[in-house]
Amino acid sequence: MRAPVDRSEPPPPGPIRPFQLDPPSAEVLGNGLRIRFLARSQVPLVSGCLVLDAGETGVAPGAEGLAVLAGDALQGGTERRSGVEFAEAMERLGTAFSVSTGWDAATVTFTCLADRLDEVLLYLSEAVRLPAYPDDEVARVREQRLAAIRQRRMQPSQLADDEIDRVVFVKEHPYHRPLSGTAASVGAATPEAVRAFAKEAYVPDRGGFVLVGDLDPGEVLEKAETHFGGWSDTYPGRRALPAATGPALRRVVLVHRPGAVQSEIRIGHSAPARGAANEEAIRVANTIFGGAFTSRLNLNLREENGFTYGVRSRFALRRNGGAFTIGAATATEVTAAALREAMGELQRFHREGPTEEEVSRARDYLAGIFPLQMETTAQLASRVAETLIFDLPDDHHVQARERIRSVDLGAAAEASARHFRPDDAAVVVVGDADRIQEEIEALGLGPVERFQP
Amino acid sequence: MILAPDSATPVVAVNLWYGVGSRNETPGRTGFAHLFEHMMFQGSENVPKNRHFDLVERAGGSLNASTWFDRTNYFETLPSHFLDLALWLESDRMGFLLPAMTSEKLENQRSVVLNERSQRYDNQPYGDWDERIQALVFPPDHPYQHTVIGSREDIAAATLDDVESFFRTFYVPNNAVLTLAGDFEPEHALSRVEAWFGGIPRGAAIPPIPGRLDPGPGAGAPERVVVEAEVPLPRVILAGRIPPASDPEFWVADIATSILSDGRASRLYRRLVRERRVAKDATAYAFPLTTGRSLFVSWITGYPGADPAVLEDALAGELEALAEVDPLEVQRAVALAETRFIRQVEQLSSRADLLSMYEQLFGDAALLLEEVDRLREVTVDQVREFAATHFGRENRAILYYLPKESN
Repeated sequence: MRAPVDRSEPPPPGPIRPFQLDPPSAEVLGNGLRIRFLARSQVPLVSGCLVLDAGETGVAPGAEGLAVLAGDALQGGTERRSGVEFAEAMERLGTAFSVSTGWDAATVTFTCLADRLDEVLLYLSEAVRLPAYPDDEVARVREQRLAAIRQRRMQPSQLADDEIDRVVFVKEHPYHRPLSGTAASVGAATPEAVRAFAKEAYVPDRGGFVLVGDLDPGEVLEKAETHFGGWSDTYPGRRALPAATGPALRRVVLVHRPGAVQSEIRIGHSAPARGAANEEAIRVANTIFGGAFTSRLNLNLREENGFTYGVRSRFALRRNGGAFTIGAATATEVTAAALREAMGELQRFHREGPTEEEVSRARDYLAGIFPLQMETTAQLASRVAETLIFDLPDDHHVQARERIRSVDLGAAAEASARHFRPDDAAVVVVGDADRIQEEIEALGLGPVERFQP
Repeated sequence: MILAPDSATPVVAVNLWYGVGSRNETPGRTGFAHLFEHMMFQGSENVPKNRHFDLVERAGGSLNASTWFDRTNYFETLPSHFLDLALWLESDRMGFLLPAMTSEKLENQRSVVLNERSQRYDNQPYGDWDERIQALVFPPDHPYQHTVIGSREDIAAATLDDVESFFRTFYVPNNAVLTLAGDFEPEHALSRVEAWFGGIPRGAAIPPIPGRLDPGPGAGAPERVVVEAEVPLPRVILAGRIPPASDPEFWVADIATSILSDGRASRLYRRLVRERRVAKDATAYAFPLTTGRSLFVSWITGYPGADPAVLEDALAGELEALAEVDPLEVQRAVALAETRFIRQVEQLSSRADLLSMYEQLFGDAALLLEEVDRLREVTVDQVREFAATHFGRENRAILYYLPKESN
């Protein structure tokens, strides 16, 4: 017999089961390499991240993109084997490294079957300690990167992302330019320069190594010592950077793409650096404003007006400052209307702040999805790696849930007033300027510039 | 219904596959299965508009849905004490959707979907490649001849009556697989599913898929289609028909495409990207489709100014060269597949989705457990045979994308 169910209201939750996440163990090798590890045996996998203080902010002016190139070419061969032999050796083990270079770090990540970890570590240490950077591989990777830069300039959403950074950050600061450099700077990069950069920046000092998964915690330190202990170069120190933003300048940049059926809209301004004390309050505020499906922005622009497939806002928080960006693609004919609504929401959020109900909702959402974001060995390893990149406490990610739960209306309202700044917001629209310029000018969002790439 | 209990973390994945996709669409209504998926988030008899997302997000869950050729899936992962909430939401829209449907909601989602089409296809370099390739590989009366997103005209033509009849025809318990994976007690979960879904009446038999399902093996004589467009780099796409994902030969297809394009020791990367430097990138992929025949796609992107004929020759040469294979290459592909498989089932949402897929498409979720063994059994001779049979010129659609002169 079927029990009768009452469908008229959402059913109440059952008894909650606690979610416990242990902080990683922390050690440091004699050469300065920080070690973090966490044993989890649900699946026979191990994920690892080697973090190096070799990001794009460390690159000298004129050589933009050099750190990205060094990362791209890292698997071009070692002093012991060619790039082809290296790839074959790794992939026979069922895994591969991926190297990702950001503003603040280069990160080498992998996930492998637990019983192949020793061999994988052997190749990992060989790749970073004995990279050969053969001339022909560096030249090839440079051509690939130049082609990718060309692709980026013709891909409307990527073009819009690059343009909003250019508008928000001052010319003297690295964040002003695309992460992977320009055609001119990458075209000028030589194999010698790549080798010199890697020699200086791919060093244990200020770096870190993370292992998460099915491993014996008693053996990790010994493994790390075996593979990375003899690695002894020291780091020359971080480059001093100018302030990321000058006096805010409200303006609109139209990037003309004749005939475009859609416009890529970006609205942006600067934001605090990573590690700010009120980071979780900013997350809660952004969830309410544009960080979730049921955010104010998405309910307005998508569910109410049908202007877009989706609109999001985000804070990208880096070591030397951050960026706040709203992004959406809208049909050409509703571009100005969508821009007006997005700006209206930004003004209202700044002026009036969130409601108690919204804050409680966003807090529940962020606290609830926490276990989902820490589910796999790869997710966990990358969370731990972040604590190394940004010099955060070892248990920073573990404590994030408690910090989220302690964000109250006052803290969220303070974040909305301080970090959502319509009067400083610049606008980029990549679209058919002939069809949208007049209406956008009528919105009065600042002086309008226009160019065609 | 599939239950896969695992209480390692207090999270549950709820995953529902309906056996309906773009293959079930009738002429003049391409894109409708996907538009309908959007309408499933517009509320149901007891759930007002926006409440579905609101309740799952508030519970700390993530959720979405997707439409594909052979199926439409709906899924949420949430803290396990909210299992009942997910079952209530899914059962309410399976059983009681129509009272909530209005033309205002349809107009709103039509506009959202047209924007989705623009964003993914019309305003994207190479964005219409699958539209073109499907039309070249499959004959006009085959259900894979048109894309999942559909044409703008057809999306514009959809009516509320279409919503009603599509719902009554396809969104019935006898056309659905429900999988729960994660932290629950099986007997309790089963009783809750029974309570929420048990009263929803079985529907009529699902109508046959329209069209001629098996067009036979070849994709016709090679005939180059050249598109000059706003693209940054020249690209050549080669595609053809292969056996469906339900055929044992599909495991061979997986290994063959992995030898070609998985990793830096793959043939396309090693020879075309690294050694000959003719390609900026190159890839090959076997779509896991089940209706008569499936689709194999490969492409090569050249550097600025590259001669497309050279690109075509390079890629075609590698497809044909797979008629000779080294056992070590097969071993490498199997090792990569094994790690990838374990990574997929590590995540509850993806584990649930795979279980639904195997039940819905292959009739038995437990086959998932044999996946790695089946891949291990693939032999060198099978790969050679597969390449010789399916990667030749007689089964090859050819599409060139060339940058417009003005670029």
